[in-house]
Amino acid sequence: MIWDALAGPFVEFGFMRRALLGAVAIALGATPVGVFLMLRRMSLTGDAMAHAILPGAAIGYLFAGLSLGAMTLGGLVAGLAVAALAGLVARVTTLREDASLAAFYLISLAAGVLIVSMRGSNVDLMHVLFGTVLALDDAALILLCSITTVSLLALALLFRPLVLECADPLFLRSVSGLSALTHFVFLALVVLNLVGGFHALGTLMAVGIMILPAAAARFWARGVGAMIGVAVVVALLAGFAGLLLSYHFGLPSGPAIILCAGAAYAASLIVGPEGGIIARHWPRRHLEA
Amino acid sequence: MFTRRHLLSTTFALGLAAALGLPAHAQDKLPVVATFSILGDMVASVGGDRVAVTTLVGPDGDAHVYQPTPADARALADAKVAFVNGLAFEGWMERLLAASEYDGPVVVTTEGVVPLEFHQEHGQEDESAEADHDHAHDGTAEADHDHDHEQSAAGAHAHDHGGVDPHAWQSLANARLYVANIADGLIAADPEGTDAYAANRDAYLAEIDALDAEIRALVESLPENRRAVVTSHDAFGYFGDAYGLTFEAPQGMSTEAEASAADVAALIRQIRGEGIPAVFVENITDRRLLDQIASETGATIGGTLYSDALSGPDGPAGTYLDMMRSNIRTLSAALSS
Amino acid sequence: MTALAFRNLTLGYDRHPAVHHLDAEIGAGSLTAIVGPNGAGKSTLLKAITGALKPFEGTLDRAGRSHGDIAYLPQQAEIDRGFPIGVRDLVAMGLWRETGPFRAIGRAQAARIDAAIAAVGLSGFENRQIGALSGGQMQRCLFARLLLQDAEVVLLDEPFAAIDAKTVADLIDVVRRWHGEGRTIVAVLHDLETVKAHFPRTLMLAREMVAHGPTASVVTPENLLRARRMCEAFDEAAPVCDRSAA
Repeated sequence: MIWDALAGPFVEFGFMRRALLGAVAIALGATPVGVFLMLRRMSLTGDAMAHAILPGAAIGYLFAGLSLGAMTLGGLVAGLAVAALAGLVARVTTLREDASLAAFYLISLAAGVLIVSMRGSNVDLMHVLFGTVLALDDAALILLCSITTVSLLALALLFRPLVLECADPLFLRSVSGLSALTHFVFLALVVLNLVGGFHALGTLMAVGIMILPAAAARFWARGVGAMIGVAVVVALLAGFAGLLLSYHFGLPSGPAIILCAGAAYAASLIVGPEGGIIARHWPRRHLEA
Repeated sequence: MFTRRHLLSTTFALGLAAALGLPAHAQDKLPVVATFSILGDMVASVGGDRVAVTTLVGPDGDAHVYQPTPADARALADAKVAFVNGLAFEGWMERLLAASEYDGPVVVTTEGVVPLEFHQEHGQEDESAEADHDHAHDGTAEADHDHDHEQSAAGAHAHDHGGVDPHAWQSLANARLYVANIADGLIAADPEGTDAYAANRDAYLAEIDALDAEIRALVESLPENRRAVVTSHDAFGYFGDAYGLTFEAPQGMSTEAEASAADVAALIRQIRGEGIPAVFVENITDRRLLDQIASETGATIGGTLYSDALSGPDGPAGTYLDMMRSNIRTLSAALSS
Repeated sequence: MTALAFRNLTLGYDRHPAVHHLDAEIGAGSLTAIVGPNGAGKSTLLKAITGALKPFEGTLDRAGRSHGDIAYLPQQAEIDRGFPIGVRDLVAMGLWRETGPFRAIGRAQAARIDAAIAAVGLSGFENRQIGALSGGQMQRCLFARLLLQDAEVVLLDEPFAAIDAKTVADLIDVVRRWHGEGRTIVAVLHDLETVKAHFPRTLMLAREMVAHGPTASVVTPENLLRARRMCEAFDEAAPVCDRSAA
């Protein structure tokens, strides 16, 4: 009976299996990136990026009409440009990362709205551009899985410099020239995961899966590696549970998944052993030494 | 006897008469605003040369999620009559009316239409299930160009349709009411053109009647068990009701809704169970979900249906009548094969 | 042999000089303290040696050394203590020159990490998160990292500020050991007693050089008075400096 409830939907329906695969892919690729994003205090980048890609999508639309491929590609280029410029300004001037990103995404958004308005189009570009986890066609699945592979490879290769870049950037700069490369590759990963996520899964799911599991993991793990592990597990469970909720109770799929992740975050906030509310207010008895 | 003086004064008199008479013919057209392309086409058909129609949501545009621009406010401020669909179709219109300080008449074209209730969602009958598909544009959602169509926890979108399907134009019988309301509105604003408007209206109504007969004939020719259709969003309630077809959709009443896995699963089961042969994509929505459903059930994509907007002028649905004609032909071609 | 040479070196911020026309040489293998009043340009000088700051004028000669040969201990504030990393992992970063960004840490290297942690008296702290360390423990941790860096030139910026006496004593032992190994050590210090007790040479800086040489002859009341006369604040109305090389 339980088995029917848990596995039945995936056995019976192809779209459920594909949705699960998509959720797994983004949990593996985007969530680790999200952990670093959170540790670098850039958690709001996701929302900023959703707006920053508009001029790219608009230009894609101008050239190729309502072609999802063209618009996604355009969005990717715009996102990378904004991230690169923001990163550059943060490294070279006194302006910090959050402010420089905010500045560039606002400029980008304004440019995008301008382009769309001048063209006189009524099409709601962003509405068309953002997908849903229930409608993952082959192209979208391939896109997601490719991005996940690239992300995992890049993170594995650049793990050490990335950790150092977050913890002690001066030291990294003093021993290695990789600092700039690491920084920009990381930003590129963020943009890649976000834009791919928007295209396949919609804004809410893409940003939510990046940030919420990372925030939850903060309350369970101490080291970065353990944090990433916990976050990925939370993301996978949220995807699975959210899809089941959507199936059994008729909830819209994206929000259901994100609310499951949100519930995990709330629970972690309360019962998590690393600085959770219960741990803080009712600590265990102290040891002898 | 014609002297030069006679000639001059006659010429002068004629010239004066012409100069005085010309303005009577070079009248400015009546500026009017229609909220979306289907209405705009109807208004242009009834108004003819006497009106200059500005349409806010153009061809292939989605009026459910439209965000008005300052240009729209200007157009509205300059207009003498505004035509809206009503039945809470244009959730953004109230704010636009207020913002543009338009104080002329607003003609609700669905005046007199008997509205259809919410389409039953696959056995989920109670209000709470419908609440999933309820949407309301609240102020903050419109204030910024935030195309955040996922239901975010903070700004819950809820359309207050009052539980009613706004796509009334999909029934030609209702279209007759639309046309009558439009004609009345134009006549009230521009009494001098009463005869022209009446004539245009009558001619248009005749065309509508002819098309209505054509549609009924085509539907009659379909086999009984081939009268169920799957499309993107619940836009064809009136069409189905008028002509005896059943329409199913994963997305609810508005394109802003997001499908749930339960809805999609139920739809797939239904398609398999009833042997529905074809699904239809729409010109205003993302077709990926339909593609997914089609590939999983083996149904074919039967073609494109035009639900809430006309196509471009070069497309198959450039006018309202063309739109209805195109839809029924697409449907019958796919369903009768 | 010279490890570092400053010729007419002028450094600063916003056109105001923090180090003004400095001429000096640091010999290889020497143990030198840099002292001076607040704002005298001491930290600025160290930053310039690492290459983080570009001079307004003059040159800084590192005798052909590159990044990897110079180890720098900045003032503590610049590390993100909230980052979830343990003592062992932070110390292990000192092996960067050998492992680079990708190579795993071998058995021999792991042993050296443990030895370094023991050398600074932090045995047992390997898995502690750096956020949970006290000021003194953090400083020991950073010294352990420096140990592993195995650099020829070591720069220390106020290494004993706000540190308990025991830790200071232990870390000074490490410094002396480095000195015995022939490394060049330059340390910015405020506590003149420590300087007099452990550092053979001193450079007294008050934006311009006050004195440089054996500690006993540099740290004198006359020199200290001269240094104190240096004005701390930048002069907003100062004219453009047209002094050529001294």
